[in-house]
Amino acid sequence: MAQPALKDTRVEEFEKKQEWWWAAEKRRSGRLDYLRKAIWKKGAIGGLYAPGVKTDLEQAVLTTNMAKALEGSPDPYVVKSAKLFAHILDNKTIFITDHAQLVGYTGSLPNTMNWNPSIASILNSEVFNDPISIPEPVDKNQAVIQEIVDYWAGKTDLDKMMPVFDMDDLMKMLSGSIGWGVPLARGGYSNKDYEYIMTGKRGFQDIIDELDKKMDEIDDAVHEPTANKEIAMMYDRLNNWEAMRIALEAGIRIAKRYARLARIMAENFEEDPKRKEELLKIAAACEQVPAHPPRNLQESFQYDIFIQMMSRTEAIEGAWPCRPDYYHGPYYDKDVHIDKTLTKEEALDLVGEFLIRAAEVCQFKPKWAREGLQGIDGTWVWTMGGVDEKGKDACNDLTIAFMQAARLVRVANPTFAFRWHPQVKDEVMREVFECIRHGLGYPSIRNDPILVSNAMHWHGHPIEEARLWVHQACMSPNPTTKHGYQPMRMANATANCAKIIEYVFTSGFDPVVNMQVGAETPDVSTFKNFEAFFDAWVLQMRTIFSILVRSVNRARLLAPTMTPRPFLSGLSERCIESGQDTCDPSIARGNAWITAFTWVENADSLAAVKKLVFDEGKYSLAELKDALAKNWNGYEDMRLDFVKNAPKWGNDDDDVDRIMLRCLDACAKFSKELKCPCGNNWPILPENVSGNIHYANIVGALPNGRRLGDALYDGGISPGPGLDKKGPTAVLKSCGKIDHVTQGRAFLLNQRLSPTQLAGEKGFQLWKAYMRTWADLGLDHVQFNMVDDATLRSAQKDPEKYQEVIVRVAGYSAHFVDISRKTQDNIIQRTVQGLG
Amino acid sequence: MMKCIACGNECPLEEFRYLYNARIDAPISIRQCTKCEAWIAVDELKGVALQQIGPGEAPWGKSAGIEGLAE
Repeated sequence: MAQPALKDTRVEEFEKKQEWWWAAEKRRSGRLDYLRKAIWKKGAIGGLYAPGVKTDLEQAVLTTNMAKALEGSPDPYVVKSAKLFAHILDNKTIFITDHAQLVGYTGSLPNTMNWNPSIASILNSEVFNDPISIPEPVDKNQAVIQEIVDYWAGKTDLDKMMPVFDMDDLMKMLSGSIGWGVPLARGGYSNKDYEYIMTGKRGFQDIIDELDKKMDEIDDAVHEPTANKEIAMMYDRLNNWEAMRIALEAGIRIAKRYARLARIMAENFEEDPKRKEELLKIAAACEQVPAHPPRNLQESFQYDIFIQMMSRTEAIEGAWPCRPDYYHGPYYDKDVHIDKTLTKEEALDLVGEFLIRAAEVCQFKPKWAREGLQGIDGTWVWTMGGVDEKGKDACNDLTIAFMQAARLVRVANPTFAFRWHPQVKDEVMREVFECIRHGLGYPSIRNDPILVSNAMHWHGHPIEEARLWVHQACMSPNPTTKHGYQPMRMANATANCAKIIEYVFTSGFDPVVNMQVGAETPDVSTFKNFEAFFDAWVLQMRTIFSILVRSVNRARLLAPTMTPRPFLSGLSERCIESGQDTCDPSIARGNAWITAFTWVENADSLAAVKKLVFDEGKYSLAELKDALAKNWNGYEDMRLDFVKNAPKWGNDDDDVDRIMLRCLDACAKFSKELKCPCGNNWPILPENVSGNIHYANIVGALPNGRRLGDALYDGGISPGPGLDKKGPTAVLKSCGKIDHVTQGRAFLLNQRLSPTQLAGEKGFQLWKAYMRTWADLGLDHVQFNMVDDATLRSAQKDPEKYQEVIVRVAGYSAHFVDISRKTQDNIIQRTVQGLG
Repeated sequence: MMKCIACGNECPLEEFRYLYNARIDAPISIRQCTKCEAWIAVDELKGVALQQIGPGEAPWGKSAGIEGLAE
């Protein structure tokens, strides 16, 4: 199956015309071509799921029936949670896709999105109200959904937690004006203790054996002739361990169901001897993992998929933190180079299929999440390259294989983020560049030395652990170590930062949601100088960040008892050792961050106010307040003045760059005052996903010249689209003035480059020179779009012909036709930078 | 008063639904006629409808066709 799908002489022609998607189709193997075309497009198009993609009612029904059955059970809550999880795995429908070598999916059918009704009633209501996604027959299934929604009303994680939150904070957060997401341990981004489970030392059965030993020891200890507080607390540990064991045993059982299915298909239904052999290999793999450590590359990938599938049964996962070249690399080396059981082409097929299996994963998400992550289900940003714990280059042959496979299967999710460091070989950089040049929009490039230092600065991770980091979501590094990994990043510490400057003009009153959200700072027209104005900005920033962080801190403290995660805990050395839930802050170092959406508008707005109001006295604050309240209507001349005659970030202009640094300093100072329950800091991380579009109708007019309705800047520290007029070096110089270690956790930078200019070897050399400047200036991130305007315009006009064109949106990539018209236009608006 | 290029509907500029800007640094915005729902490029300074916007037909961006309108 590792032969090209079609020997087609047109491949070179397609590549010459940079129609990479057609070339990939011809170059990939028949198996990859089949598998790539067999998956359903799960990312929401704009904000709506595609026709044919349906909500999976099976998990919802299984969960509800089991929850009812457990109502009268005396089991502790954590054990009930584990039994619920096990019931789903034991009873869900499983399938094996034709030609596949890897198995496991979150739903019961390939076109379904799983729905966990136990997490949030607001999610359940969206399932009910999304008729496009309700499976046929709609009337009958709507009644089933109604019954499930009714049962869970008041019983979901969020419903139970709301009364024990600060209601004032919660209402402001749920208004949707300043935050994004909800503070839940079963809804966000879970990192994992990969050093414990992915280094080939143990499988689930080994962990269960360890748990049994622990439970026996404690059982003996609690029956000694003594009594004290420690013994009293041991019963909670026993309950947690018992729950972990139930969850892990269920994980082994479902793998064995897949093994049985593969064997039955091979022995009773398959006539092709080659496919029969493949099915028996699948059976052998599923008998081995996750019970025991993998023995080869196929089993290693299978182990990873099972873990992700199970994690997504326990929770709604918005990300897929991992480092596949690092953890699966030794198996590639063994199979391809040592044992020679796989040819490079066969290995490439497996790698491509691993990407495809990940691309099809989907869980039903609320509309605000779909709008903020248009075109994808979540941010599967896979970490590649980097260094090992000793600081040595960790790139390997699998790093290269992943880059090559990505160009063949061209999925928009997962994407890669490459940890660049000075030891990376030219051969690897070339592969990275080819992915970018082929218009994938990934890998994004991360500056490893800077980010390792950053992890030590902000969260005190020891250097050996800091070096073992993965992206927990789009951008934020998090070690995969015993005390370093963060079990859940609750997405609601995501600040819509443009509201900071907006609230300075409204004294904290939000005209969109019609409530007081920010601080009641004095009427803006009373400020006599820029310092007073800036002080109000700082107070609004501190107020917004505090509201969001307080909710997460509260949820994190409550999580171990109210929303435990026995499966995730069972994969964690610190939980196996301590008998505590993975979210328990007492056993973690802490790795929190505030995602700063819509950030750069603040610097541009403050700079415009400083110049045109305070320095030149051209306008009064009262006048500006009136213009903004009227959405600049009737003030077009003045609006243009604020855009064109005020300095803009990204042009190496000290007047505005100094303001940016001042804002970041204020945030960095406050980040050390804010503490997570682990006792660690809350640095900010400017980036956007497609929040710049989601918030376009939520953020009012601003002094940078935008109106309510306009897309916000595309995020992180990227200059406003079309406002970076002095070339790519000026952008890098502005961004290089930021201290990427001490002023925040990470800073996203989008750049558009010309595919024509970067063609061939000369293009690679130009890009390398650009990257050298980037590294010398100490930036921590950059990502590229390399698709020209003409192609994007043609795709707008004739989307059917351009289904496979991929673009970088913000911290992720998406198929261009799957994002809204407004997002498409926003990408076209970005400046194409010429290098050299 | 502004006249819709597509259907001839005439009403004050503000009554054409504001969608978003074509470029932040130009007086060109995209508005929608509330009568025929056509997307229209509008000169915000003059209050004049410039052209109808279809998918990919009247693109914008640094090197796009609307550049001529914006400058």
